[in-house]
Parts: sequence; structure tokens; C-alpha cells
Amino acid sequence: MNARLPLAGIRVANFGWGWAGPVTGQTLSRLGAEVYKIESRARIDINRTIPPFAPGHHHDPDCALQNHAGWAGNGSITLDLKHPEAQALARDFVAHCDVVVENFSPGVMDRLGLGHARLAERRPQLVTVSMPAAGRSGPLSHVRTYGMSLSSITGLDSVTGYLDGPPVPMENAYADPLGGILGAFATVLALNWRKRNGRGMHVDCSQQEGVMQLMAPAFMDFVLNGRVARPLGNRHPLAAAAPHGVFRCAGEDRWIAIVVAEDTEWQALVQAMGAPEWSRDPQFAHHAGRVARIEELHRHLGAWTTSHDDRALAAQLQSAGVAATPVLDVGDLLSDPQFRARGTFFEFEHPLGFRETLYGNYVKTRKAAAPQRTGPMIGQDNDYVFRELLGLPAERYQRLVTERIIY
Amino acid sequence: MSIAALDGVRVIELGAGISAAFCARVLADYGASVLKIEPPDGGDLVRHWGPFPGDTPHPEKSGTFLALNAGKRSITLDVGSPQGRELLFELLADADVLVENNPPARMRDWGLDYDALAGRFPRLIMVSITPFGQTGPYADWKGYDLNAFHLTAAGSRYCGAPDREPLEHGTFSADYYGGYVGATWALASLFAQDELGGEHLDVSCAEAIAASFTGCQNIGDFAQNGTIAKRTGVGMALAAPATILPCRDGHVWMMALETAQWKGLVHAMGDPEWARLELFDSMFTRAQNADLIYAMMTEWTAGLGKQEIMDLCQANGCPSTAVYTIGDAGSLAHLHERGYFARPEHPLLGQVRILGAPVHVPESPGGPASAAPLLGQHNSEIYRDRLGLDDTRLAALHARGIV
Repeated sequence: MNARLPLAGIRVANFGWGWAGPVTGQTLSRLGAEVYKIESRARIDINRTIPPFAPGHHHDPDCALQNHAGWAGNGSITLDLKHPEAQALARDFVAHCDVVVENFSPGVMDRLGLGHARLAERRPQLVTVSMPAAGRSGPLSHVRTYGMSLSSITGLDSVTGYLDGPPVPMENAYADPLGGILGAFATVLALNWRKRNGRGMHVDCSQQEGVMQLMAPAFMDFVLNGRVARPLGNRHPLAAAAPHGVFRCAGEDRWIAIVVAEDTEWQALVQAMGAPEWSRDPQFAHHAGRVARIEELHRHLGAWTTSHDDRALAAQLQSAGVAATPVLDVGDLLSDPQFRARGTFFEFEHPLGFRETLYGNYVKTRKAAAPQRTGPMIGQDNDYVFRELLGLPAERYQRLVTERIIY
Repeated sequence: MSIAALDGVRVIELGAGISAAFCARVLADYGASVLKIEPPDGGDLVRHWGPFPGDTPHPEKSGTFLALNAGKRSITLDVGSPQGRELLFELLADADVLVENNPPARMRDWGLDYDALAGRFPRLIMVSITPFGQTGPYADWKGYDLNAFHLTAAGSRYCGAPDREPLEHGTFSADYYGGYVGATWALASLFAQDELGGEHLDVSCAEAIAASFTGCQNIGDFAQNGTIAKRTGVGMALAAPATILPCRDGHVWMMALETAQWKGLVHAMGDPEWARLELFDSMFTRAQNADLIYAMMTEWTAGLGKQEIMDLCQANGCPSTAVYTIGDAGSLAHLHERGYFARPEHPLLGQVRILGAPVHVPESPGGPASAAPLLGQHNSEIYRDRLGLDDTRLAALHARGIV
């Protein structure tokens, strides 16, 4: 530490929005790229308007906390892209970039004069990563979804819920940060291709196809047996472990996750429980017997865990060799010993005079790690990009600002 | 013609289960040559997980194995034995990437932890994907996908009824998340491998999700204001409609937040009297009357099919979608047309449809070049042809259970 990061020298123009767009930029930044968000005061990014704000900075678009976490590592320049001159400046900027990231509906970038083909005329090595909901082609390419509901068209939502009950929504967009990481995957993949072939390309990164990979086990059961998977609660999706669930502990909304995949783990669990009568049933000694009577097994186990403290019980079971972990809630994340030890979250001294807590480099590396950063203030990199990189004369720059083109 | 994105990249996969196999699969999809090392006694445990055709267990016919391992080669090797380790070292000598998801203590016991390997293989990019990571007090805890997922607060915060247990998605969603993260970081290290040499990428599935999913939108608020938000059981508690509702043949994700989306939905529903109430003009007041709204909407959805509702809504500018079952999603004309599915020829099962590459890269061959390998299918090719072992030596290794 700290050697050069792998994407050092790669410059990215991030036209992304929502949650997936910022995460792609953030991920590339963690890998060493220099990333700039293109945004405008004419239509403030909705993420900048979502509470909570830093104390004393209410409704300040530079101080929305979750916006900072999502956009961390991205820089920012402002351009009101409804003006042709702003579009031309965006093209000038992209001519200095290696990568364009966008997650508009198909066609929007073309209408702004920012389609890949046009951009690549000036920059044949350009990699453009488009990440629409369902790809750039095909009958569903214009489907409109929110990140939260995107998983509904992958099958994922249909298997999430209590055993034999209706689908239960995941109340936030798992597909968004995952899709954002997928966008970074697509970008670095294309950069590897560029290195071998000497030119850029337009990558079609369908969020639907990326997220649907998680459904491979259920998909295979459909293909091989015509079976359509349904919600299983927390049970093992392929019945390869029993017990496999979340059990109530002492206290309000406290739970423990316990998985027993091997017979030796079962024996360890039985010992830890003090070998109660029910657990000595010889059928339970073997995987097949436990799977066959999993409901009964879970009922007994849940009755036992309910008087225990989740953390103490997890530690006790772990020392016996059982895969048991406390089910954390949001309030546990900062104090959890594992996340503290790994520096998962950190306090950041913001230049506007407040401290905020963000998540950091969650992949641990040996040689090089990106600096800890927050999200950008609007237009914080205008001077560097427009004056230094593009070399705009002071007069023209001033005019563009006054005319709200750089805005 | 162009050269595949990962042409010439050699990957060794040493793992069991989902995360490492998925990570290596997506590298194989784009031209990397992936050698999967399996234990001689039974191979990767996913071979025993299924689903199996006709529910008849067979180690070469596990659907999950077929899906995760297409495009790879397989050899059997007991890397826990000294001779096995020596053979692995010979293979690592010209490998670019090692992907593994073993417990850190086991890798140390085998002498295969990064510290042991880095000196000998300075160019090696090692991707370790585990539930909790290589360091910290839980590093040597036992954990599976479910343990990792629920350590992230994602279930407590976002999935399930308030009075019931938090839920994970009904699949290995923590393992897959870690697999994608590992592949992304590995691609970056590969991009710069000539200049920077090797690297160890320590991926904790729990940490990746706790940070980038749950942490992103909750940790700032908790740290500053002490807010501990919990699951509610509906899609969004503060705005409506935004939840899953039943319909004639399944479920729909009903979503109409902005005014134009709500107006589109009202129009799609045939402009019913109740929806014209001023009370329902804002997504916030709609949420305050969610029980009423959802009951009225369900009267409408109950009479229609999920695709019908989705089409009507989408045509009216309302972003509602069908909750596709895996049967629906797996049969979508859209995905067929885009070439998402692959049908590699398997020696025992013939052509089996599997999911293709996750990202469509027009100029680079994407998707698996072959079906998942049989257990040890490439032993001869690797041990004889690549490492130059003769029959006698190979027979001896076989007899001792090393190969």
C-alpha cells in the first residue's frame, strides 16, 4: 500500500442516474478510474433531495447523506443537456474519456447527440456501457421499471417470501447496487477487450439478464423438470441443508440464522442444545431424515433459540462448529465486531463542515486501495474539466456559466 | 473477427458451492480458460445438490452444477496432500487468476493462503470469496450463504413481515453478489496485470452487501440520527402504490409514484370513480390510505392476467410489471430473441438450455463454449499433455487417491 490502482489513467463520463448509475461510477473509482458525473442544476438529481441531510444543511443538495454514499468517488461537472451547446461540450469532454456510462431508456443518448456511434467518431477507443432495464434490443427493451421492481421480470421476486405464501417484496432495489457493480464488470470487461483489439465498443448491459443469473438453480429445475419454483422462506433453495433458517431469539425482533449442511454439524448442534429428547431421534442423525422432517426440526429448534441472546448463542454455536450468525439490523452494522475490524464503514470529515458515515472499500486488497471519498458537490470539477482539460478560455467559460449551459 | 476479451487468460478455480464457481463461470464466458479443481471423492458438492432430471440424483446431472460450470475443464486433485499441492503449484506457475472460496483456515492448512503463494507466483491474482472475509473476528466462523445474507441487515431492514422472521431471496443471493464483486475486481487486476503484477482480492459476501446495499441508504441516517428502520411487508411504506398485489394468474408489482404514472394507472384501470378522489392525488396521501387503495386496486387486478396488467400499465406510462415466475422469465420471447440462453452439448444429457453470459458484448464471443465438464474429464489432457506425467506416475497418484 499504496501502489497504483488498476484503472489509474482511465477517465469515465458518467451519465448515470438512479442508484445503479452512481454505483457503476463508484466501483470504477474504487478501482482507480477518474470518474465524472454529468448533471445539472436545471434538474437536480432526485438523490440530492432525499433526506436525511447533514445537520444545519437541510435541503442543501450538496448535503444529502445517502446521495453521498451512492455517488462516492464520482466527481461532478454540470451541463444542461437540453442546450445543443451543452451537448457539444459533453462530446468534447467525452473525446478526453475512455468510458461512457449511461442508464437511460434506449434512445435517449442518441436524441441528445451522445449515442455511441457519434461519440466514437472522435474517439474510436471509447467504451460505452449502456445499462437499461432489459437491454437495448428485443420486445421488452422499452419496459419501464423502478430498481425495486426490476427483479420482478427476472423471476427473483417470485421466489422471495414465506413458505407457500405469496411473493414478499424486497423493499429496496437489490438489483440497483448489484446492477451498478455489473455495469463496472461490463466496463472492465470491455477495457480488457480494447486492450487486445485496439478499439472500443458499445456494451449492452441488461439489468434483467445480469440479475437473472441469480435464478440459475430454479431455472435449471424449470428446464429439467418443468417445475416452477415458489417461495421457500429461508430454506435451502435446493434442500441441501436442514436446519436452514432464521429463528427467534430473546428480545424484540432478534433472530439467529442457523445452517446445518453436514451430519457432524448436526451432532455439534445436538450437543450444544444439551441433547434434548427430540433431537436424539435417529432419523435426524442423517441429512435425508432432517430434510424430510424439516418443519418439525425447525419448530423444535425455534422453541429452543427463543430464550437465548442472539449474539451469545451464535458465538456458542460457532465454537461448537455450527454455522450460526446473529441476524443484524441496521443499528447493529456500525458496532458489529466484524465490520469494525474490516473498516467497512468510516467517518468522513466533509469539506462543508460536518462529519458523515459512509461505506468504504469493501473489497480488501494487499497492494493498493482507493482513498476514502464521499459524493461530489454539484459542479465541483467544472474548473478542472472545462478550463484545464478542455482549455476553454475564461471569457467563453464565463459566458457558458451565465447562460446556464454549464449549469 | 476480434479476439475475445479474456483470450489467453488462465484461471484456476478451487472451491465448492456457488460463489467461486459463478465468479469463474463469468470469466469463462468471455474467453478465459478455466480449470476447475475438484476433490477426487465426489467432486464439487454442487454435483450433489441438483436439481436432477426426474429428481434422480446423479453427480453428472446436477442442474446447478451444469449452470455454474459450463465452459470449464475439470480435473480431480487432492490439494491437501503434499503431492497434490506440488501438482497444483505446477499449474499455478502459468495461471493468471486463482478463484477460491474455501475457509481461510483450510487454505492456510493446505499452505495455499496468499502469503504462501505470493512469493512464488508474483503475477497471481487471487480472488478469495467467503461469507465473512479473510480477516476480523468472524474470519474463521463457519458460514453459508444464508448466514452471510442475514449478517448484512438486508433481511431485517427490507424483507418480511414486521412480526415474522426476516427473509432472504429464495436463492443464493449473497453468494452470487460476492461472485460478481470478485469477478469485477479480478477483471480490473487482469487489465493492469502486466504493470502491477498480482494482487489478493479478499471479498466478503456479507460485507459487500452490508456496505453497498443496506449500508448505502441507511448507515448515514443511523450514524447521524440513530434511525433503525425495519421491514414493513409492503414494497414502500411512505409512497403508494408500490407493492406486489395478486392478480388472476399470479402477482404484479404495482408501481405508480409520479403524478403522470398514477394518472396512467387510473386510465389503465378504466378511470374508476374512487381513484378520482383528490385524496389520492399525491403518492404520500395514497400511502396514508394504502389499505383502501390496495383493496380497490386488487379488485381490478384480480380479474386480469399479470402480462395483461403489465402491458396495459406500460402502455399508459405506468411502470408496473408482472411478477414473472421462473417459468415465465425462462420462456420470454424477449430473452430468446436477445440470445440470452445457451445450449451447450453435454456428454450425458445432450443439449441442455442454460443461462448464457450476463452481459451482451457484441464484438466478443459471450457465453459458454462448452457444457459443464464431467468429474475429472480433463485429467488426461492436463496431467499428461500439459504437465507431462507418464502413465506410471499417474497410476500411482490415482492409487493414492490424489488424482
